[in-house]
Amino acid sequence: MPSTTSSNVDAVRNWLLAKHPERESIAPDEDLIAARFVDSLSFVEFVLTIEEASGVEIDREAIDLADFRTLSAIQKKFF
Amino acid sequence: MIGELISKDDRFQEILERLNRKSVEDYYNPYRMFDWPESLPENRWWMSPQLTTTYGTDVAAELDQEQLYRLSRCESINFYSLNVDGIRELIVEVTRRIHTRGFEIPSEFFHHFIGEENEHMWFFAEFCLRYGKKLYRQMEPAGDGDSWPEAASFLVFVRILLFEELVDHFNSTMAADEQLHDTIRAVNRIHHQDESRHIAFGRELVSLLFEDLKSKATEEQLLQIQEYVKRYLNYSFESLFNPQVYRDAGIPEPFAVRRRLLASPRSAEFQQQVFRKPLNFLIKTGILQDRDLMPAERGAA
Ligand SMILES: [Fe+2]
Ligand SMILES: [Fe+2]
Repeated sequence: MPSTTSSNVDAVRNWLLAKHPERESIAPDEDLIAARFVDSLSFVEFVLTIEEASGVEIDREAIDLADFRTLSAIQKKFF
Repeated sequence: MIGELISKDDRFQEILERLNRKSVEDYYNPYRMFDWPESLPENRWWMSPQLTTTYGTDVAAELDQEQLYRLSRCESINFYSLNVDGIRELIVEVTRRIHTRGFEIPSEFFHHFIGEENEHMWFFAEFCLRYGKKLYRQMEPAGDGDSWPEAASFLVFVRILLFEELVDHFNSTMAADEQLHDTIRAVNRIHHQDESRHIAFGRELVSLLFEDLKSKATEEQLLQIQEYVKRYLNYSFESLFNPQVYRDAGIPEPFAVRRRLLASPRSAEFQQQVFRKPLNFLIKTGILQDRDLMPAERGAA
């Protein structure tokens, strides 16, 4: 259902915003890595957050960074 | 330059020579070193209970003895799997530096280091595949780039050192734990013996690399290093809390359990125990100013 999917990706957005209190919002197409929302030391938590919110198990050996760069890419791939 | 600092440091070179000699004297054939029984008894601790992530928490109080044994088995496989992936990074980074400018003098030691780590990776993977029938794969670190190339070697070797120190806390505890099977104790004991040389080397090299870095870094950059090192200590500690492990151990709501455990006061205490020695080192060298590691969001979770 569309309403559920958007609330699910919201969990990912909220997690990112909680880690970056200096920011109030994130555009769906903002590059999360370039904007330093996520780096190598927070990537694991980031993936776990997406897994929990989407219920999709993410294969550690098949990570394509393009699927994680923006909220809209995440929504498309995992929700 | 780091090469110059090393070549002027007689003490460092003496330590290196002693460690090189010890590596040669203690050399063993890992492929003949261990007894690998067909299977290990399931109804026992596979990891010292005080090293399991639920120890002393109300999550553990909800599990029966059989579930606790099963969790210790899955957590031990996760721990050895972390070693396999940690060693991968370590071998790659040391291989990049061996026989290159600046690392002429420690290159002899790097040969022992790379060789020994290859063997460690073999016996840890062997253990996981034989007795756990799987390896838990870690995420490849992604998306940092080289924001500060001058600090690259320092950051690589401080990560290697802190990873080896974390592992060694587990190895030395499990090697001495009579509740554990002989094969488990032997794997931990042998690794602990080799790692005592690697850690001794790592502390010396990291001290020198930091001295080198400090002479050209701004206050601001030193603060960034401090923050990075603390975040790394949290990152590596949190990798012990794996939702896949809780799921495989039959614990419901693995993500919520992980959050609950990380937010518990016990995990802050456990982290301080795991990193007691390296925190002493980091403070003595001035890399860190304090031992305060608990990130705000972990407590708030
Ligand atoms: Fe090792
Ligand atoms: Fe090592």
